Amino acid sequence: MSYLKRSPWVIHYDASSCNGCDIEVLACLTPVYDLERFGIINTGNPKHADIFLVTGSVNEQNKEVIQNIYNQMPEPKVVLALGICATSGGVFRECYNVSGGVDKIIPVDVYVPGCAVRPEAIIDGVIRGLKILEEKHKKFQAISGGKGELTIAQAGIQDAGDILELQKLAYQSEAELYNDFSLSPLTQTLEQLEDDFKNKFFLKSVMHDKIIGSVRAFMEGDTCHIGRLIVHPSYQNYGLGRKLMREIEAYFPQAGRFEVFTGHKSRRNIYFHQRLGYKIFKRERVSELRDRVFMEKFANKDRK
Amino acid sequence: MNIFLNILLYVVLAPLAGGLLSGLDRKITARMQSRIGPPILQPFFDVLKLIQKESLVVRRSQNFYIGFFLILVIFTGALFFTGKDILLVIFAFTLAGIFFVLAGFKASSPYSFIGAQRELLQMMAYEPIIILSAVAMYMVTRSFYISDIVSFSRPLIYYLPGVLFGLLYILAMKFRKSPFDLSTSHHAHQELVKGITTEFSGRSLAMIEVAHWYENMLVLGFIYLFFARSPLAGVVLSLLAYFLVILIDNTFARVKWQLALLSSWLMTLIFGFGNILILFILPK
Ligand code: SF4
Repeated sequence: MSYLKRSPWVIHYDASSCNGCDIEVLACLTPVYDLERFGIINTGNPKHADIFLVTGSVNEQNKEVIQNIYNQMPEPKVVLALGICATSGGVFRECYNVSGGVDKIIPVDVYVPGCAVRPEAIIDGVIRGLKILEEKHKKFQAISGGKGELTIAQAGIQDAGDILELQKLAYQSEAELYNDFSLSPLTQTLEQLEDDFKNKFFLKSVMHDKIIGSVRAFMEGDTCHIGRLIVHPSYQNYGLGRKLMREIEAYFPQAGRFEVFTGHKSRRNIYFHQRLGYKIFKRERVSELRDRVFMEKFANKDRK
Repeated sequence: MNIFLNILLYVVLAPLAGGLLSGLDRKITARMQSRIGPPILQPFFDVLKLIQKESLVVRRSQNFYIGFFLILVIFTGALFFTGKDILLVIFAFTLAGIFFVLAGFKASSPYSFIGAQRELLQMMAYEPIIILSAVAMYMVTRSFYISDIVSFSRPLIYYLPGVLFGLLYILAMKFRKSPFDLSTSHHAHQELVKGITTEFSGRSLAMIEVAHWYENMLVLGFIYLFFARSPLAGVVLSLLAYFLVILIDNTFARVKWQLALLSSWLMTLIFGFGNILILFILPK
């Protein structure tokens, strides 16, 4: 049994718009609605929070704030978009400074409509969020708890089909980000991928006999090039990518330097690699839609 | 053998009682604000949940300090509830507090820095009266041993009302409650985010919470010493003191640290020291 349901702590951020929803969230804490009777506490500290309540539409200035709060919350976590502004940008969606709904920045689990959103709806949304929290916890446990359920191993040519399928799935979000569906991971054919097995080293992570993540690398001189880190979308944010990266780095002890690249708009990827000790050192134009950001890490330092 | 049984009982029962008490606290607080409030067992749910969460750290060593904090608090309590030297109890308790502060500093975020500094200030504010009360108890009972203090022929309150008052004054600091919840608090005071506990999550936060339960029991035990002659009255009155703290918590806003420090020193001087002075002058 999980206790997440019994004690969800929330953090509340009001992005922009009219503040109507903001006030309704606070109204939930008053004696009339008394959220605390469900064990809900408004913490104001992302590191203590389980549920992220966002009201109002996202604007250009607070994008990073929202992203930052989200990244600081420990797993498992759930995001609620409260009010029509947070859902889609609402009446403010055409303003020059408004980027749109919260899901432009971070994955949203529950959308609660309303303008302003009613306290009853907020409570209902939180209760729904709890169910998702519970599911995430189960998945998280399955992955981080291990118990032989998740294995990371070298992939062989027989896995090429599965990996290709996963690759196309995992790169969808990137393609949407750049509005460019001609990305090479999406257009790669099975033959090309099988060819890759000749000169690259592949890792796969398997759960319940299914490949849910993969990464590949090859040596060039002193440098180990790591690429195509993919994780099945519904298994993302559980530290799987981190595990794969650590694992593949360990397979190349001879490398003096590791190099990865990603698109310039892929903030999540850049942040992810930065947390692993990578630093940006080069930026290259590949098309008018996309720049490539190269990141490097030296093997001897940055090791904890 | 008996002493081990005692320690075992204490290690198991103290957090249970402490957790229940803090659940009761939240319920009473809610009622005072005419809310329904969470279930009494809520603090246990909270801690169990925290254990299930991911533990994010800025530096790994910060959890090491928290571990020491918890162990030392338990150790202090074990000394106390087995009737050992009260001075040793106080020193161990202070050491535990220092580890907590170190953990806060180790986490190196501006919020936990301010929280840790304030925690230090609070320690400066409440330490004098705690040491004075040990001295006062010695003056009355001629022993630093808690077992002797408890079995003294008359309740200490007859001799030491001023010291008790001084202790009650700083009680809110130990319970992290208004008006002295400077370093961290359970309420939605958010200008410091969460003060000293800001950078702790998951398991380490759960450890802080459990240590806090132990601490609370210890502090209540301290109050109990003043009425130890009649155990029932002692328990009732120390619970009453807890209720008083809750009432004050819901009545007052947080004060500035200057006022907290000055006023508690003043109280210590007037009531604590004054009490001892009178004891000294008056013939037995
Ligand atoms: S949804 Fe309506 S009430 Fe809420 S922030 Fe937007 S405009 Fe204001």
